[in-house]
Amino acid sequence: MADKIFDVVVVGSGPSGGTLAAHLARAGVDVAVVEGGPVINTRTDFNTHGLPFQFANRQIPRMKTGKPGFDSERARGVGGKSLTWNAVAWRFGPRDFKGKTLEGAGEDWPISYDELAPYYEAIEREVGVCGNRDGLEDLPDGHFLPPVPMKCTDVAVMRGAAKLGVKVIHVRKSTLSRNQSGRPACHFCGNCMAGCDVVAKYNSADVHLRPAMKTGKLTIFSNSIVREVSVTQENRVDGVKFLDRETLREGEVKGRAVVVSCACVQTVALLLMSKSRLYPNGLANSSGQLGKHFIPHFTNGVSCFLTDFVGKPPVNDEGFLDHAYIPSFMHTRQRDYARSFGVQFNYQNRRSVGWARDVKGFGASYKQAVKDRYPAFLTFSPYGEKLPDPKTYVDLDPSKKDAYGLPEARRHVNWSDNDWKIFRDMTEWSRRILGETGAEIQAVGEDPRTNHELGGCRMGADPKTSVLNANCQAHDMKNLFVVDGSVFPSASEKNPTHTMMALAARTARFIAEAGRKGEL
Amino acid sequence: MADNRRDALKIIGTIGATCAYPFSADELYAQHTGHAESAAGKAALPAPSYFSKADLETVTCLAGLIIPKTDTPGAVEAGVPAYIDFVVAKNKQAQGLFKRGLAWLDTAAKRKGKTRFAELDEAAQMAILQPLSDAADTVALPPPGYRRAAPPKMKPEAAFFRAIKGLTADGYYTSEIGLMRELGYNGNTALAGFPTCTHEH
Repeated sequence: MADKIFDVVVVGSGPSGGTLAAHLARAGVDVAVVEGGPVINTRTDFNTHGLPFQFANRQIPRMKTGKPGFDSERARGVGGKSLTWNAVAWRFGPRDFKGKTLEGAGEDWPISYDELAPYYEAIEREVGVCGNRDGLEDLPDGHFLPPVPMKCTDVAVMRGAAKLGVKVIHVRKSTLSRNQSGRPACHFCGNCMAGCDVVAKYNSADVHLRPAMKTGKLTIFSNSIVREVSVTQENRVDGVKFLDRETLREGEVKGRAVVVSCACVQTVALLLMSKSRLYPNGLANSSGQLGKHFIPHFTNGVSCFLTDFVGKPPVNDEGFLDHAYIPSFMHTRQRDYARSFGVQFNYQNRRSVGWARDVKGFGASYKQAVKDRYPAFLTFSPYGEKLPDPKTYVDLDPSKKDAYGLPEARRHVNWSDNDWKIFRDMTEWSRRILGETGAEIQAVGEDPRTNHELGGCRMGADPKTSVLNANCQAHDMKNLFVVDGSVFPSASEKNPTHTMMALAARTARFIAEAGRKGEL
Repeated sequence: MADNRRDALKIIGTIGATCAYPFSADELYAQHTGHAESAAGKAALPAPSYFSKADLETVTCLAGLIIPKTDTPGAVEAGVPAYIDFVVAKNKQAQGLFKRGLAWLDTAAKRKGKTRFAELDEAAQMAILQPLSDAADTVALPPPGYRRAAPPKMKPEAAFFRAIKGLTADGYYTSEIGLMRELGYNGNTALAGFPTCTHEH
């Protein structure tokens, strides 16, 4: 077994790596997944239903006592970030793939919406995505399970937004709204991001990898932290070298092709770390583009209280967190910037009351004010699209090392004029929509905060300005692939995971076919 | 080592081969009805050990003034002073703030003819705290998670008041009394379906 050469070695087991590995295994490809974290039993290992007073420090730990560690910064654990994601599943719209053509800013994708559409549908059919068919050009419909009803508070925001001509729609999530494939429908306990313990919410370990094991074509190396993608003299990669997470012993997995899918920044870091005499600037980096064009989403984060709900009895309305969404509307309106934003809102979990410390005053009136506002509290977070700029990039810290002796990745983020214009406009629109809804705004973020890390290893038609071609294949070596958020040439404002999974399915198909034809 | 792990995973894989997810939907659903009730087991906070007896008395007095007992129990009844002790013991910055703040309160008490803040009557205590609360409330804060590293500028006694109010709120609303009884948290349950809004808005 130690000498075995796999057809494909996949680094990372999250939504991208997990989807890709399962699709390859089902296509008969002998695939190894190398994951830095432990195997997690999603049914029993998470503190999904913990309440704060059950813990001495009043903080609910992610894992139950004695259960394997799950590193959430790097999401080390079989299943990666899909274990704790919020499952929002949009298709990108046609304009998201050609922003440069349409607006002269940022970059086009080397593929179109139409090329990706069949893969979106394949993912929707196999994992189950609930949502409403809204007929919006910018947010294309797909194969959906029935939508989940909106909360009363969503309806209030919908009425307010409508006065401004702004549409509120049902959210679309990779969470089941009815039983499917042996998985139960969501039961609305509100703790999705603490780790869904019934797999109503998609995670790659239970929905993709575990069923794919029955092909006999899938092998998972857990607790194996990849530190290098190894190369041969012939401009090819031939596997990965890893450190055992517990013993720190060295190991390696050999393969005829390697796919790096270990989440945006860590993917870039791994390729930068994989430098050698032949590749002094890191792997697949002859263009010097690796780490550049880092384009995370950004948000302002508004917290408020809906006045109509102040003083009402508490409601069990956490549901599966956000049930509604405000799709981008500024892309069709007059504005002085490129790109747009969409709004996620009403995703708070009511077992957490951190906002109480910022309610004014003290004493009996303060206590009453918190109680009155409890059912009315609402989070509101527009997400904007960042354009690539030269001062926003990922690199390796020259001196800082992590617990495994590997260099730490650094994120350098600069907010450009266009970013600030979007940021100010989304803050303005937050005030306007919440104003029409009738809300007491408690706090508004003054600086953009990043989320949904994207870019850094982008696809493109031109090898001089991109790292990968339209098949997520490195321009520099044909048996090296990357699939995750790092490959996005432009970010859209829409939550990205569904697009990563569709890309993973598309890349799996390309690899399987190219492998069959002996082209790798 | 690697081979053993691989073998173990192959075994897990075999289990997975027989059914995609090894429990029926109904069984999983049943597991979840009423888990809020079965979420028993409270972790008691350790007995306060950081503050001196006198300081703990002042902290207790302040917690009770910030979230008093009304028709529901207040911060003291919910064990908040022990929570504050627990947090401050681990936080050097908070220790400095508390040292100055508690001393400032005793100095203010001396101006009113008592040696310590805790000895004043409630009206006098409230009169001392009100300006601190007002000062703390004039500084706008971005939402949690969006805060800049540097704390907003305010007088040390107002910053101290904001800190102890924050800790009192955290401690109270994470307690069973605060979260379940006072606020009436009723989530964390299994719903057969999500209710459609039928209200007139």
